[in-house]
Amino acid sequence: MADYIVELLNVTKIFPGVKALDNVSFNLKAGEILALLGENGAGKSTLMKVLSGVYTKDSGLIKVFGEIVEGLTPKKAQDLGIAIIHQELNMCSHLSVAENIFLGREIVRNGILAQKEMNAEAKKILDSLSLDIDPETIVGTLPVSKQQMVEIAKALSTNAKILIMDEPTSALTAKEIEELFKIIRKLRDEGRGIVYISHRLEELRYIVDRVTILRDGQFIKTMDFKDTDMREIISLMVGRDIKEKYPRIECGVRKKIFEVKNLNAGRMVRNINLELYEGEIVGIAGLMGAGRTETSRAIFGADPKDSGEIWLHGRKVTINSPADAIREGIVVVPEDRKKYGLCTKLSIKNNISLPNLNRLIMFLGYINKKQENIMSQTAVDNLKIKLTSADANADSLSGGNQQKVVVGKWLANNSKIIIFDEPTRGIDVAAKVEIYNIMNQLKRQGIGVLFISSELPEILGISDRIIVMCDGRITGEMLASEATQDKILELATKFETKLA
Amino acid sequence: MESKRKNVLHQVLSIRGMGQVVTVSAGLLVLCVIFGALNPNFYSGRNIANLLRQIAPFIIVGIGQSYVLITGNIDLSIGSVLGMSCMISATLMTKGVNPWAASLITMIACIMVGFINGGLVSGFKLPPFIATLGTMTVARGIAQLVNNNMNTDAIGESANGFRNFFYYGKTLSLYNTVWVALALWLVFNFILSQTKVGRHIYAIGSNIEAAKLSGVNTAVTTTIAYIVSAFCAGVTGLITCATGGLGTMDAGTSYELYAVAASVIGGVSTLGGQGILLGTIVGACVWGVMQNGLQFVGAPVALRNIVIGIIVIVSVLADVIVRSGKGKKSITRFLGVSLKIK
Repeated sequence: MADYIVELLNVTKIFPGVKALDNVSFNLKAGEILALLGENGAGKSTLMKVLSGVYTKDSGLIKVFGEIVEGLTPKKAQDLGIAIIHQELNMCSHLSVAENIFLGREIVRNGILAQKEMNAEAKKILDSLSLDIDPETIVGTLPVSKQQMVEIAKALSTNAKILIMDEPTSALTAKEIEELFKIIRKLRDEGRGIVYISHRLEELRYIVDRVTILRDGQFIKTMDFKDTDMREIISLMVGRDIKEKYPRIECGVRKKIFEVKNLNAGRMVRNINLELYEGEIVGIAGLMGAGRTETSRAIFGADPKDSGEIWLHGRKVTINSPADAIREGIVVVPEDRKKYGLCTKLSIKNNISLPNLNRLIMFLGYINKKQENIMSQTAVDNLKIKLTSADANADSLSGGNQQKVVVGKWLANNSKIIIFDEPTRGIDVAAKVEIYNIMNQLKRQGIGVLFISSELPEILGISDRIIVMCDGRITGEMLASEATQDKILELATKFETKLA
Repeated sequence: MESKRKNVLHQVLSIRGMGQVVTVSAGLLVLCVIFGALNPNFYSGRNIANLLRQIAPFIIVGIGQSYVLITGNIDLSIGSVLGMSCMISATLMTKGVNPWAASLITMIACIMVGFINGGLVSGFKLPPFIATLGTMTVARGIAQLVNNNMNTDAIGESANGFRNFFYYGKTLSLYNTVWVALALWLVFNFILSQTKVGRHIYAIGSNIEAAKLSGVNTAVTTTIAYIVSAFCAGVTGLITCATGGLGTMDAGTSYELYAVAASVIGGVSTLGGQGILLGTIVGACVWGVMQNGLQFVGAPVALRNIVIGIIVIVSVLADVIVRSGKGKKSITRFLGVSLKIK
């Protein structure tokens, strides 16, 4: 057993009211990539926070390189060679690459920062990762993918032997993911142990050697990746067989309800034409940065349009602000629910009623609290939102349930067209299926659903028709029954040829 | 009956932000007990009546600042608007203008400052600290300008009705100043807690992007908050004018900070989205009782300032620790960080 560089034995961690980790055992070898899998709330992050010293375990044993470690702190973990790369990048965006890499461990000569030395050192590390980044670049000016690489370089600069990566690919394009994987494999071949946490099960097969599965704070199983398959992994994660990963219903397409004509809004929304019929879900596929979110924001009036018309039920509507769009019943469930979707410090109830206050007003702007309770309860019941109290803060909910609250506020608005922008990002498998079911339910009710997603399997699985965007333009359209991943990818990378 | 009472109590306590109000009220009670023990005259009817009249202006400017803080902004111009209000009204009255007409003109001028603050912050996206720092200086300049850089003469006997209404008069054995404060509190508390505008103010403070995408007109709502703040400062300026019976150019200096203190002691978050006006009243009372009480037991002014400053910091610190739910952890984290800096 000497080849384990990390061993956690029967680790338990209790938060007030929750047993976040219940006797979990976990190990990692040198030179392997181990996927740590589980639904949201399964305890993956907690386990890794225990290992990196952020949380203190309540009981159990931690061994690093065969030595028992007690009283682990983030600093101590770093000294032991454990580095964690967070899902949300922890970078000072106004500082340079080198300054970020050496943050907190600056090289000082005679009380003065050795700027040149640090730049040179940073360059060396970046080169070792075959990254062409100038160490003096301001981090905020780099694309997210490059920032991620800088984060990895930062970890390596501490000479980390154990790397923990939490959802490193969630903001990357396919090409960037490929580059990242190349680097991860290289790090493995150099003998480092890598813990890889991801909800994107499809990508595991490219890099993972072994998987460990947690569920509800308990250790479920660890196995070699080649001995298992997706079905088994998913069923172990959720604890039951998910038969319908992508439930689909057929409604029969009826009349046209929504049309966007020649919409232009800046470089990322160019000459967009799309139609939506009753009883269908239209998927919008494309790479990150293809202009899909921008298109949804332009339709919604969140960003100004340069030109174009929007027609709803055969009537031309004028939308200059989200308030206009909401009045017409055209709404967006935005991609980053914490940033754009919810007022996290307000109660769940107040979030649901926020765009619908006009219908709750009795006199002088006075809000009818009884009606508000009914509105919120209806949404909670319809969407099966799991909560302790509708008066609790919106951020007390899990990701999937937060998403449902955002949907709930638009259903209470009697919306006619709902644009879902990456609705399943960062939520677990079971919650994803619930979101799909909600979209299907809307489709059955005759509500138009536009579904923006970067995950091809779900676009293919849920949509009836697929529109592909690239570089701010629509590059293709097809029926889901005729679509394949290859076809979509080809259209999604159809960049304009730049003539010399 | 018993269960019904319990139910009401439960409901009151479950109001957001009520926890902090209860804690601070307990602190206020302790303060009163201490000052009473040090000097029993603290409890005399006369002192209580005076104390409440002293607190009233803090309540009023506190209401305005709370509105702005809950939207996630700050209003530094309150003190200067107060001074401007005091000077404009007094100057007009010494020139023979009817006191009520003078008050009306004054309030219009003050509201315009609020409108400009709101426009700069929500329309032109200036950082609120800078925008209101600018209007603070301008408003103070106007206060100095209106009477040629001099304090005014006494506003005279024709203004006795005005002075009675805002300062000297009593109704039901409470000074009118207190009634003015309570009336404003009732109105603005209703707006903030029961109406659409109020809900929008909280939503903006919690997440302005999400609010905008939910159809909230963020520019209008933010401007309303600033107008309320300027309105409250204006009324307090009229009170100050009625108190002294003349206009002083430096009236209201530092009041914007007293207003912040009343708000945050009462549990309004400077980060926006949280707090209730009941807390602002209690916060203003703590502020007033400290000032009055320390004076009553003969503490020198310098000591008073130091003690009051410490109270503001402690009350916010206590709030941070309670809210994170793990006081010990935030302290160790704080120590850990400071060690790292070393």
